[in-house]
Amino acid sequence: MKTLNTLLLAAIPALASAAPAPDLFAIKVGKAETVSHGTIEHAVILIEDGKIVTIGQDLPIERGIRVLDLESWTVMPGLVNPYSRLGMDSRGGDEFNPQVSAFDDLYPSSDEYDRVLEAGYTTLGLYPAGRAVPGRACAVRPGPDTAEGMLLTRDAYLKIYFRSDARAKKMLRDAFAKVDDYVEKEKKAREKFDKDNAGKKTEEKKPDEKKPDEKAGTQEGGEKKDEKKDDKSKKVYVPPEPDEKVKPFLDIVNGKLNALVSIGQAADFLHLMDALGERKLSFDLRVPITREIDMYEVKKQIGERKCRILMEPEISMTPGTMRMRNLAQEFSAEGAKIVFLPRGDTIGAHKNALRNVGEIVAQGLSREVALRALTLEGAELMGIGARLGSLEKNKDANLVFLNGDPFEPGTKIMAVMLEGKVVFGEVQQ
Amino acid sequence: MFQTSRMRAAALCALIGLLAPRVSASFQEGGDAPKEAEKAVDEKKKEEKEEWFALTNGDVFTGTGSLLRGMTVLARNGVITKIASEVDIPEGAKLLDAKGMRVYPGLVATSSSGLFGATSAELEDSVDPFSSRMVLGLASGITSSGMGSVAAKLKRGEIKGVVMRDKYLTTLAYSTNNPSSKRNLSEKFAATAKYLREFREYELKKASNKELKEPPKKGVDSALLSVLKGESLARFNADSREDLLGIARLAQQYGFRPVIDGCGEGWTVADELGRAGAFAVLTPRDRDDKSEALVRPGGSSIENAAILHSRGVQVAIIPSTKGVDLGGIAGRDIIHLPIEAGFAVRGGLPEAAAIAAITIVPARILGIDHRVGTIEVGKDCDLLVIDGDLMHYQSFVQYAVVDGKQVYDKEAELWFAHIRPRTTPSMAPETRVDPGEEVDPNAAPKTEEPKDGEKPAEGTPPEDKPADGETPPKEPPSDPPKEGGTPEPVGGGGQRAG
Amino acid sequence: MVSRACWVVIGALALCACRSSASSKALDNAVDTRATKGALAALAEGETGVVIRAEKLFTMDAQDRVLSPGMLLVRNGKIEAVGVRFDVPAGFELIDYGPAWLTPGLVDLHTHVHAGGFGDINDMVLPINAEFRVSPTVVPGNPQLQRAVAGGVTTLFGIPGSGTSISGAGVLYKPKLHDTYENGVLADPGGIKVAQDSNPQRGAGDLGSSRAGLSWILEDANDKARGALAQGRRDPALENLMKVHARELPILIHTAGSDGVGNTTRMWRGKYPVRSVLSHGCFDAWKVSPFVAEMGMPANNGPRTIEYSSSREGRIIGISAHNEKIGVPHLSINTDSPVVPQEELFLQAAMSARYGADGYLMLRAMTINPAIAFGIDARVGSLEPGKDADLAVRTGNPLDPRAAVEVVWIDGRIEYDRARDGQMF
Repeated sequence: MKTLNTLLLAAIPALASAAPAPDLFAIKVGKAETVSHGTIEHAVILIEDGKIVTIGQDLPIERGIRVLDLESWTVMPGLVNPYSRLGMDSRGGDEFNPQVSAFDDLYPSSDEYDRVLEAGYTTLGLYPAGRAVPGRACAVRPGPDTAEGMLLTRDAYLKIYFRSDARAKKMLRDAFAKVDDYVEKEKKAREKFDKDNAGKKTEEKKPDEKKPDEKAGTQEGGEKKDEKKDDKSKKVYVPPEPDEKVKPFLDIVNGKLNALVSIGQAADFLHLMDALGERKLSFDLRVPITREIDMYEVKKQIGERKCRILMEPEISMTPGTMRMRNLAQEFSAEGAKIVFLPRGDTIGAHKNALRNVGEIVAQGLSREVALRALTLEGAELMGIGARLGSLEKNKDANLVFLNGDPFEPGTKIMAVMLEGKVVFGEVQQ
Repeated sequence: MFQTSRMRAAALCALIGLLAPRVSASFQEGGDAPKEAEKAVDEKKKEEKEEWFALTNGDVFTGTGSLLRGMTVLARNGVITKIASEVDIPEGAKLLDAKGMRVYPGLVATSSSGLFGATSAELEDSVDPFSSRMVLGLASGITSSGMGSVAAKLKRGEIKGVVMRDKYLTTLAYSTNNPSSKRNLSEKFAATAKYLREFREYELKKASNKELKEPPKKGVDSALLSVLKGESLARFNADSREDLLGIARLAQQYGFRPVIDGCGEGWTVADELGRAGAFAVLTPRDRDDKSEALVRPGGSSIENAAILHSRGVQVAIIPSTKGVDLGGIAGRDIIHLPIEAGFAVRGGLPEAAAIAAITIVPARILGIDHRVGTIEVGKDCDLLVIDGDLMHYQSFVQYAVVDGKQVYDKEAELWFAHIRPRTTPSMAPETRVDPGEEVDPNAAPKTEEPKDGEKPAEGTPPEDKPADGETPPKEPPSDPPKEGGTPEPVGGGGQRAG
Repeated sequence: MVSRACWVVIGALALCACRSSASSKALDNAVDTRATKGALAALAEGETGVVIRAEKLFTMDAQDRVLSPGMLLVRNGKIEAVGVRFDVPAGFELIDYGPAWLTPGLVDLHTHVHAGGFGDINDMVLPINAEFRVSPTVVPGNPQLQRAVAGGVTTLFGIPGSGTSISGAGVLYKPKLHDTYENGVLADPGGIKVAQDSNPQRGAGDLGSSRAGLSWILEDANDKARGALAQGRRDPALENLMKVHARELPILIHTAGSDGVGNTTRMWRGKYPVRSVLSHGCFDAWKVSPFVAEMGMPANNGPRTIEYSSSREGRIIGISAHNEKIGVPHLSINTDSPVVPQEELFLQAAMSARYGADGYLMLRAMTINPAIAFGIDARVGSLEPGKDADLAVRTGNPLDPRAAVEVVWIDGRIEYDRARDGQMF
């Protein structure tokens, strides 16, 4: 590994001479918490064009490459809060609107985005307002002045607010029943197409490909069965367009979109399972931690499904007693994956996030799980785990520099780097 | 019981009806036959998955008139299959040793509040099976309860199969204070009875007379129709003598059995209510002084339950507070249901009838007596294991079993474990010792061969160890013993200082 | 088939036959005649009397003797003799109640049913009303009192409410249904009612809306009374309080919570050495039971018998069970009637026993213990020679709701007879 890295480093000056120098520099830190590959002492990270090119222990650096010597500091991936409404202020209703995207509600000029960077948060998941099914969350990088500039993905996950009652269960059952209907319809359309064009060459149009001339036609809701006759011999199969309210659920069934269900008590989980029936679906859970929450009653079932649980780093109590419970540790032990949110959706809470999670680590949660819960796990929830969330090759250079162990109470965030650019603090020599 | 067998027949017909199209379908759609076969295999696999439960060594109060000692109750998939002293328990069965304790049917509350942790009417979709109120309900012995229009079971930790029956009780308004309601109801009953008569005539004659048209159903109240057909029970809320007489007469006139909530002055018209075949749902401690201006007997009476029962009225008992009350004043809320039944005994109700009043009679009222209310083969395995007499003020439910699953253990919960804790180990695994292989507790340990003429050294026999699960329960130091409990000092007189 | 009830009674008899043979060995044929010497005299002209017998007789005396069978002789309303077996003197009728349980009439130190309802309980103008008396508000023989007697309760301390720091003087009386109220009074004033929990804050003016203010009001009044007593001064406004400090009148304090109970015990056992009884003592007062026990303050628990929220362990705490364990003296229970109906005093004992207290102790808690705590044990609380003939006859265990009260005697006269009056409770 080390030799390979040295070779790589050696190769770069050769490239550099050919084109204008890319934004290339190296960082030396006392300790790097990679999240993906453990802790690296005396780590060296090479960054180019906002991405991590390589990371390793004591890597020799080619002369000519700018080096930031931060040996006294620790670095970890930028923090990820996948469940926030920072900078957003609209109210929602109680409707079924899976087609709505939070992205359309974005207000990039909000100063909360600058301030959240100071707290070390380089990625946010913003969800739409409302109960029932308010729509899809988007993942953003705080900082840029335009919505497009902020956007990482429009379809981070579909938010579902679920409590134990007949209306909520019916809503879910109906939503998935409509998916079944669409799948049936699509199947019949396919069969008909095959029958009509037996023997001829055919081509399947993938539903994601939007040919410019069809965009206008297929944007409306309602199903159109288009059997387009491309000129000459090839017939193109165009699957019917699903209703815009059905599509997100179709994506969930096909594994293309994640579902995040907010529940409040153990009974809600059982009722959710009942509403989903026999379907093999994966979904994640948002569980607001209250003092006497009884979610531990279903921890085994949650662990078996390997759900992610989005929760605050809080200690709860066995109901009616003063006996403390570390639910994050209990869920993690059963196989569930933890994502930590700040204790509140305020800048102050974001600033205290590391310290609060540190309290939970002190109470028995594994450090590795805790680090992941603040970074990579949230990224994977939003489907951007390949892009950021850990200190690995080819990932965005989102870094948080600390003057000590991230979970020690006295530690301060000294600097924050977003895609290779320092957005908070100073890293001068 | 006429009603139950009718319902059974109807259920059987429905079942056959359901099966028929399935069978025909598999013949018609050849393409689907393999799928059907797959389905059938899956079904069989489900059926074969058997969960057995056995309660052993219990003194079982079945509720059918017998107290059986040292019994084993065996259940398969939550349904009782055998009650006997010698039972072959299948391997893998979950066991519960009830030695030294009494076993009663799970109690049935005619109505309650909050035990299901849900407020919505659609209990199936909103029940909170982890609610502490449900745990307290089970701790007090309640395993089924009416709530709103449904009858449901306290299935701790599960949401499937909670609702047992829906809309079996139709509430009707009938009050002397509202004369139009009385008239209204009489008219509706008359119209419904007339329709029923005409319909029955039509049924008889339509075979021979094809022209005959069905009698019009307009103006016929469907709720009353179901009452008169025996498919549901009519429920009234009445306390005064006049209302009770009116209801009794209405019931006798149209041939239905009324369920009467309150029934405060029932004891003054017990004969009429008995003739009407009424069910009374009452609280023995209800106090209502009759107006001093009245000469005739009236107001409430602690003997209400006893008098009604002696005249043939089926009595169910509920406490004055339908929910759980942990505010501090103990003894009058739903978790003290057996105490309330004790007050009916105070008024003269026989003990067996008092127990029936919180088990089988509420089950009949809620239409679930084919499943719960007594411990019988074929019924749900809902059992209570109690450290004494059900209605004794110091008895605590030790274990509660619902649908063949143990869902409550007093020692495993924080609520009451510290109060007169059990000393016997629970859920002791069954051990088998073959004859000849028992360890002789008095056998002396092997010592050196005694020299000639010397007596062998006498080893100290090992302490008499009782077999698993047989540690005799310690005598609670100075509590009144349960059986006719005498709060008496232990041993000779003159111990306790003042 | 032998009915269940019979089964239980037979079992009970079998049990106590074994037990009592051990306990009554020393008492066989013995007659306890502390009041009279020698044989029992025949009934003289102008005297009333009766001999009562039953299978089980709870004396509630200092030795906790339970006589089986037991007999007692009543002359002119007082118990003259109690024993296992003695000859009935001439002129006395023998009433044999057969397989019944005999206990002393029950004593409740915290009741508000003398007025027949919630009206007339309180005047909440002055924080100190030690001179207010309850007697003008008494409605004798009201339905609540009738049921009280039917429940076996024979001695009541009827008191005002708790809206002021010193609510007034209560009356110790027996709820006689077939005699005048006056003939039922044991003492008027029978004691002073003090309230030291949140209730007095309701009626407070400028002073007394905090506990500090309430405490000062009480201490000020008491210090003045003590001053007058020490100086031999006569002050009509402080008359009752002076009696308290002269130990002629007891004090019953309504108090709750760990702060209230702590303060009460400190004041009425620590600062002022008077005869005092702590009443209620619920909510989180269990936390200060050790202090209460150490100061020797008797506790009179009710209407709340259990506590959950402050238990901090997710468990139901039986308040009397806890006090018993800690060693609080002379435990008694109450109904705070009509919060709990007066006739359900026994149920308070049953519930306390259910939640962990000793059953026999709870029987003492409604008979001799409150009498001792309040200083009226010379007259009521146990079936002993010299005491009033107040007793109840039941079909079974007095704590068991299933046991009905058959007959109630007060001062040697039948005040309730189920066969004659109909079963009132």
